[in-house]
Amino acid sequence: MVSIIGSVDTGHDDMIHDAELDYYGLRLATCSSDNSVKVYDIKNGASTLLDDLKGHVGPVWQIAWSHPKFGNLLASCSYDRRVIIWKETNRKWAKYYEYAKHDSSVNSIQFAPAELGLILACGSSDGSISILTYTPETNIWDAKKIQNAHAIGCNSVSWAPATTPLFNGNENEQQPLIKRLVSGGCDNLVKIWLEEGDQWKEETKLELHSDWVRDVAWAPSVGIHRHTIASGSQDRRVVIWTSNDCINWNSTIMHLFDDVIWNVSWSLNGNILAVSGGDNKISLWSQNTEGAWESISDVSKGQGHINN
Amino acid sequence: MTRVINNDYFIALECKDLQATAMSVDSTGQFALLAGRRSIALRNLDEEYENLFKFSRTSKYDVGTAEWNPTSQNKDLCAITTNERLEVLNFREDSLSVSHSIRAHTRALSGINWHKFEPNILATCSVDTYVNIWDLRDTRKPTVSLANVAESCQVRWNKVSPHIFASAHDGDIKVWDQRKCNYPLQYVSAHLSKIYGLDWSPHAEQQIASASEDHTVRFFDTSNPRKPDMILTTGSPVWRARYTPFGNGMITVVVPQLRRGGENGLLLWNISNPTTPMHTFVGHRDVVLEFQWRPMRVGDPTLQLVTWSKDQTLLIWKIEPFLQKLCGHEPDDYSLYDDNSSMGNQDEASSTVSSKKTLKNQPLQQEFSLLNVQIPNLEVKTMDSLARTVTATCKLNNYVVNMQVTFPKSYPHGIPPVFHIMPGSNISDSMSAQLMQTLTYLAQQRVSKNRTCLEPCLRQMVTTLEQLSSDVGKDRSFERLYVEPPLSGCNDAYIPFPRTSGAKFCSVNSIVCFGRPILPRRSGGKSDSGTPRAFSALEVILAKKSTDQMTVSAYYFQKQKQRSRSKHAALSKTSKAVIHIYDATNLFLINRQLAEEYILDGDFGTICKHNAAAAAVVGRRDLVQAWTIVELTLTQQQNNEDLWPTHPCGNNLITSLIKHYASQGDLQMSAMLCCIFSKHQANSIKKASLKSILSPVSGGSPYHTIPPADVVADGWVLPILKSTRSTSLDNLKIDEIASPLPLPPKLPFVALYEYYKVAYAETLHRWGLLYNRAEVLLSNSY
Repeated sequence: MVSIIGSVDTGHDDMIHDAELDYYGLRLATCSSDNSVKVYDIKNGASTLLDDLKGHVGPVWQIAWSHPKFGNLLASCSYDRRVIIWKETNRKWAKYYEYAKHDSSVNSIQFAPAELGLILACGSSDGSISILTYTPETNIWDAKKIQNAHAIGCNSVSWAPATTPLFNGNENEQQPLIKRLVSGGCDNLVKIWLEEGDQWKEETKLELHSDWVRDVAWAPSVGIHRHTIASGSQDRRVVIWTSNDCINWNSTIMHLFDDVIWNVSWSLNGNILAVSGGDNKISLWSQNTEGAWESISDVSKGQGHINN
Repeated sequence: MTRVINNDYFIALECKDLQATAMSVDSTGQFALLAGRRSIALRNLDEEYENLFKFSRTSKYDVGTAEWNPTSQNKDLCAITTNERLEVLNFREDSLSVSHSIRAHTRALSGINWHKFEPNILATCSVDTYVNIWDLRDTRKPTVSLANVAESCQVRWNKVSPHIFASAHDGDIKVWDQRKCNYPLQYVSAHLSKIYGLDWSPHAEQQIASASEDHTVRFFDTSNPRKPDMILTTGSPVWRARYTPFGNGMITVVVPQLRRGGENGLLLWNISNPTTPMHTFVGHRDVVLEFQWRPMRVGDPTLQLVTWSKDQTLLIWKIEPFLQKLCGHEPDDYSLYDDNSSMGNQDEASSTVSSKKTLKNQPLQQEFSLLNVQIPNLEVKTMDSLARTVTATCKLNNYVVNMQVTFPKSYPHGIPPVFHIMPGSNISDSMSAQLMQTLTYLAQQRVSKNRTCLEPCLRQMVTTLEQLSSDVGKDRSFERLYVEPPLSGCNDAYIPFPRTSGAKFCSVNSIVCFGRPILPRRSGGKSDSGTPRAFSALEVILAKKSTDQMTVSAYYFQKQKQRSRSKHAALSKTSKAVIHIYDATNLFLINRQLAEEYILDGDFGTICKHNAAAAAVVGRRDLVQAWTIVELTLTQQQNNEDLWPTHPCGNNLITSLIKHYASQGDLQMSAMLCCIFSKHQANSIKKASLKSILSPVSGGSPYHTIPPADVVADGWVLPILKSTRSTSLDNLKIDEIASPLPLPPKLPFVALYEYYKVAYAETLHRWGLLYNRAEVLLSNSY
């Protein structure tokens, strides 16, 4: 079902914590406990190291590529409490903006959907979420902070699609662009935030997990026509949350895994979910025709291999 | 002596030779009594260092249970059971004497319980089936003796009402009134299997919980005990289940003989959520024999749970506010603590009186007791909570620093401690100036937020000295990272444990995966305890093993490293950080070859035929059919314009095809159909409007067999027309003519179709198919 295109030996001196391909799928960025971020050119299975970005003084937890219309920006967040945005010129990246207003490790970052502009959300162990917005006219990054978003700490942030077409009777209406995001934290909660005016407000609080929520992912809305969120937790469960109106949410426990869940990721069409966790295994899940969640690749472990 | 501390618990005592079988914490929360066959030990919990009074004991029998008197009047008394005897011990001025020794039953005692309010009354129960009540003023015979049929294993006084008590016999509970003991007040058939533990609710007089062999804890209302109010089901037989002093919680522990696997079975539950435990206390290496809440001390709002395990360690668990919150308690509300702060082992007055003396230095004492003294290159010499000073010595690269830290009274509320470098240090003046500056800065930062700062400062001292003494420009190895200066202030207990494997869908159809390399043997640390929650776990686990390897990889590969250093070095170089990229194209219906092949230019027949052929090449027969149907529909419409749009096999067929493919997740097909459809709509509108221009009377055209309103029933092109009206004279006319027509009742999915097209265009963009992308996006501007 899935075939390997290529393996990249990143040469990091320590464990990798995140890896992502850019918009076109041509460049790979990785980050590691060795404090560095590396960028590779991926072509036909071959990879060449483009740059080794040094700037963090702690393990780098996550990275994110921006939409190419904003230039090839790369954001990284670290244990050193900082977020760095890197900009490319001539296949080399330099520090473009640095945000250091968190009081503890920054665990998660994600760029907003490109329609909303150049916006980055950051979740930190100090419990707050920062929303960094770039204004091209003034060349200024503006930071808004949701204080105390999660007691103890925020572990993950994910943006909702800017528009979600719904089969709810007014399909013909152009949906307004909405800034909404979901976050998961050490208070075992999943929370949904909505920007109203220039204020971020807590819209909904989803309770079900019995331990820290480690990752949340808002599904792309193409083809599914409702809001869907996946959350993975230390309690070894992945929960799928669905809603038609963003007010009433239904929860489905997708699966109870053998070990803690670290990572959930939706495919571009929002139909398949990749799950990984503490047992070093990766599995892919999709809904069958009855709506039940099934593992579609029984999966081995190790070095991130997926078995077919 | 080892003292390992993490943020969950600290080890108050680790004593292999004690072999204690019973433990109890006194009503002031100061002493924990540990009793075994050979000795009785008292640990002063207020002292940071192990402060143990040990008394030898000569008996053939183990100590069954121990319990301190909960009243202030007799707070020095502790009752223990040994076989058929009840002994009351008196601990005063650091010496222990036996004040009473009573042969209380004819066979072994199974339980004791002091009266909650009467200082001289206690109840005992035994396998001889009797439940006896004793008055210490006259111990020749029990004041009350109740005969039963079945052996009795627990007796508990009610925590609210002074006359009521309950006893457990096999699977049944009997509730008694001390004043009329002829027959029980209530007889509850609680379980089918044996009951091991009973506990009354701290607030509700009528509420009792029973723990049983049948894996459940049942909650009964003794006024109406026919049916349990609630059942909490655990995975194993429950030895004890006791209410928490806060919120709506319950702690359970498994029967010691029956523990399974790695879990030592100490669980925290929220009673209102009986399906899953809220928390598992992980730390003991063997079964938990006894647990008790440490009575709350005034001025110290932290809740502590004291546990004694077969592994011969006494742990004190700090109950974090988030755990209290999980049990439905808002930790800021201190009023709740006052009246029910122990597991029935204390009364309010006594705790207030007795803990006053420790009130003043409590926060500092707390900080001392939680200090992790396992800091590399550092030795903590003295910690004096009365004089409020700490002295520590740091030795590194031939440098020695003796540091004295003095804590002012109002520390840590905005006032930092004072640092003083003592004689015997050998660092230069400039180094000491730098060191002092760094420490003062860090301390000031912490206390400005009312946070304690001793441990961060001590760590900072080591790292600063390291930096000052090491050569400039020397490589910083990543191993040193977690003790590096700006980071040490982070509270690692709340930072999630780093993920070392993951999978991310990227771009259109790639999955990027990374994970830990598989080494021949798995690390011992990992399989023992499962994946930890917080980053601080690294420090705790690795502190035991080595001092300088605090990295995630060290956590996973520690063992291998020790075994074969050279082999691992080779492995780590090659495989520690490999990323695999997978092509998941086959998981999705969207197809790049089709994207390149598909056309949107030309007449409908050509487009559909071409696209059907393209679909046939990639083996998508369903798409071939769909394209053929679309071709038929559209070409028929061209020939038979007036009838076709409302025909079930006309536009309706196309819209339902679009909907079908969208719900299948085939964005490509639904978007392509949208393009074709909008092109077709645009054409027919043009034609229709052309006709209405030509026709003399709008609506009464001889060419029409249906009214014009129906022709433009597919009015979803209207917005598009509006949007382009300034650009072309032709459109302007159409708009003028179209606008007086009544709006069709239900508009099809304009925005939705646009959305599909934009989403598909985005995919084409990611693939770099810019021409095709432009074609898709343009398909609406006819």
